[in-house]
Amino acid sequence: MAIFGVLRSGLYSLASVGLALSVGVIGVVNFAHGEFLMLGAYLGYWLFASYGIDPLAAIPIGAVALFLLGGAVHRLGIQRVLRSPELNQMLLTFGISIFLQNLAIILWGGDPRTAAVGYKAQSVALGPFTVGFPQLVVFAVAMTLTLSLYAILGGSRIGKAMRAVAQNRVGASLIGIEVDRIYLLTFGLSTALAGMAGLMIALQLSTSPFIGLLYTLKAFAIIVMAGLGNITGVIYASLVLGLSEAFVEFYVPQGGGWAEGVFFVLILVVLLVRPRGLFR
Amino acid sequence: MAGAALLAAAAALPFWLNRTQPYFLQLALNVLIVAVLALSWDLLARTGQLSLAHAAFFGLGAYTSALLTTRAGVPVVAGIVLGGLMATAVAAALGVLTLRLRGIYFAIATLAFSETLRVITKQLRFTGGSAGLVTPPLLPANLPAQYLVILGILLLAALTSELVNRSRWHFAFTAIRTNEEVAAVMGIDVVRFKVLAFAISAFFAGLTGAFYAHVFLFINPFEAYSLAISVGALVAPIFGGLYTTIGPLLGAVALRIGEETLRAALGSGFLIIYGLILAAVILYMPRGLLGLWTAAAARRHAGERGVTAPVSGNGQA
Amino acid sequence: MSLLVLEDLMKAFGGLQAVGGLSLNVHAGEIFAMIGPNGAGKSTTFNLISGLFAPDHGRIVFDGKDITGAKPHERAHSGIGRTFQLMQPFHDMSVLENVMVGELFGHVVPKTLEAARRDAESVCALTGIDHLADRDVTGLGVADLKRLEVARALATHPRLLLLDEVMAGLTPTEARQAVASIRRVRDSGVTVLLIDHVMGSVRDLADRVAVLNFGKKIAEGSFEEVAHDPGVIEAYLGEEADGEIKPGG
Repeated sequence: MAIFGVLRSGLYSLASVGLALSVGVIGVVNFAHGEFLMLGAYLGYWLFASYGIDPLAAIPIGAVALFLLGGAVHRLGIQRVLRSPELNQMLLTFGISIFLQNLAIILWGGDPRTAAVGYKAQSVALGPFTVGFPQLVVFAVAMTLTLSLYAILGGSRIGKAMRAVAQNRVGASLIGIEVDRIYLLTFGLSTALAGMAGLMIALQLSTSPFIGLLYTLKAFAIIVMAGLGNITGVIYASLVLGLSEAFVEFYVPQGGGWAEGVFFVLILVVLLVRPRGLFR
Repeated sequence: MAGAALLAAAAALPFWLNRTQPYFLQLALNVLIVAVLALSWDLLARTGQLSLAHAAFFGLGAYTSALLTTRAGVPVVAGIVLGGLMATAVAAALGVLTLRLRGIYFAIATLAFSETLRVITKQLRFTGGSAGLVTPPLLPANLPAQYLVILGILLLAALTSELVNRSRWHFAFTAIRTNEEVAAVMGIDVVRFKVLAFAISAFFAGLTGAFYAHVFLFINPFEAYSLAISVGALVAPIFGGLYTTIGPLLGAVALRIGEETLRAALGSGFLIIYGLILAAVILYMPRGLLGLWTAAAARRHAGERGVTAPVSGNGQA
Repeated sequence: MSLLVLEDLMKAFGGLQAVGGLSLNVHAGEIFAMIGPNGAGKSTTFNLISGLFAPDHGRIVFDGKDITGAKPHERAHSGIGRTFQLMQPFHDMSVLENVMVGELFGHVVPKTLEAARRDAESVCALTGIDHLADRDVTGLGVADLKRLEVARALATHPRLLLLDEVMAGLTPTEARQAVASIRRVRDSGVTVLLIDHVMGSVRDLADRVAVLNFGKKIAEGSFEEVAHDPGVIEAYLGEEADGEIKPGG
């Protein structure tokens, strides 16, 4: 059970870290975050169904596509409300989320699609346990990407600029960082990360227009647990979520259905008990 | 005066329509449902608490009444009232728990709460699970009478809204919305007003949900707690003009009728228009339709008097 | 007679001791000033008095009653009013409506909205903003916003008025008008406790002065007494380098 939880947490990390970036650096709680993930998943499905491209191989394509889309959304909409009250930003991204979700319904219908790659059913022995091969691969790729992001944030010039803006917007601009450009890049990066996570979901699970909201909420749970703006805490928070869900699935009767509610309970509990997050 | 004429027209509507075009009467009934939800959402929004899950109380009212009438033999009218009261009680509790949460956190918490309710309702056999519940009817097959009931509920909601806006509550709500700490220092019992707003808002949502259950005769977790309900409830006031009575009503009428035309064309993706409108309003007309109206009026006055009239009564989220 | 007594108040934020054992005694009918370098704990003290923070230690006694645990709105009802340094008018309301908030929820509550409106109008006249009564608060200048802050606080009919840096940013003429206004307020029976940096105004207004530094009171007395106190001079050394606190800035 623990293995499943851990493996799943890899995907959750990747799915949430973009939102953590958006909140931490730009200060925007992007309610449409999951929609970009959903679009990435549909992209993966389409590339596979039309060209036989494995979603994992399509990651670079997805990353670029979702980066550009995110950049466009930022330019056209989000940028204009950065100086508005927080609630306006929330409503705008909420509106974008409704828009994208229903666009998907209109374009592709409400039925789930799956990219049935050849190795989907294979399993691998991991010590005394058997795990699905796709799950393992997804975990590995997701963790690699997440950790690469951390490396970029820590090491590269852009990464440092992002961290500077996150800490002190005015200070950052005073030392010559083009804050607006960093905002654009960060938002694009956050949507790209979501898109990459979406590709992996196409691989492992099915995609439908409704997974967007689901993952937005799970990402909320994770970043609330990590503490808003705490990017490194995302991995730990993802572990908490992944393990809690696995626990409920295994040990609670009819756990599959109840597990859907785990992250809600986590959000409520954390917000009410330790709103600053568990991992500050 | 204009209000009284409008009221008479609205009350007479069903008897005329039922003979000529029952479809439009049904549509009018749906519009009234959205109107109550919009108005009750706006009431809560006046204290700065923007709920993303008005559907939670709608569904709570629906399920409470459905369960009481099917399992406990409670008469339908009592069930509806109790549905509203249950929603009120839960909202009061949730309101107390979420007092310290500022804007976005509050919104997330409400969303989480709504989805939790949906999952619980779906899982428990007691509530009918995902298959839902069949509910006994209110005034069966009597569409005009049902219409008048929801009209009555809307009038009650509108009256409440006007009372709030014309009393010292208006001052308390607006102050709390701007800055809770300053409001408290000026002598406003912020906790009391926030929880009251939440409770009253939920009462109407729950009442409407229960009404819905007994008019549409069937509820399931997906529909009763549907995001569409929450979205409609919040886009209508934002579109029409926040913090007023007319604004949410205007928005509800315009959006629900517009939605009807889109439903035919787009199937279940019709909600897309709400997303577009919400985004457009936030970006280009944050004060909603009423804001455009008052701004235009202000410009006319400015031309006449040489001074800018205040744009008060509705504002940004 | 003591109207406000602070007994050994302490408040820390994280590792920073903002107020570290402050005791103060404000007499009814006086104008009492709190001065001190930035970060001395003056604003924190105001927040403690108006109830926005709870002290870690110590007591606050207002008019003989222990209000240490009272909520902010309860303190307003008892008769404590305050202005805010960062002006915080209520949006979506006119100037008059802002003042009416003070009327409607303060120490003396009028029976009807109409009565509240009339009272608010007279407070506006008193503070010189009656010509702005129907104006929206957005776009008001600094001096008018300050007057609004004071009007709103006065509308709560306080017995103790906390003025938070009302002199900052005022022209010399405006400052003189403000001093005259504050004197009138005191003469009408309101005790005034004020924080300020503008020494000229403090000297003109204050009956007594307390000097805070690093969360503690380091001197108390008349303005002249504290201005010549060596400890006070040293505290300000980084700001006034010539051995005396000189009014003029």
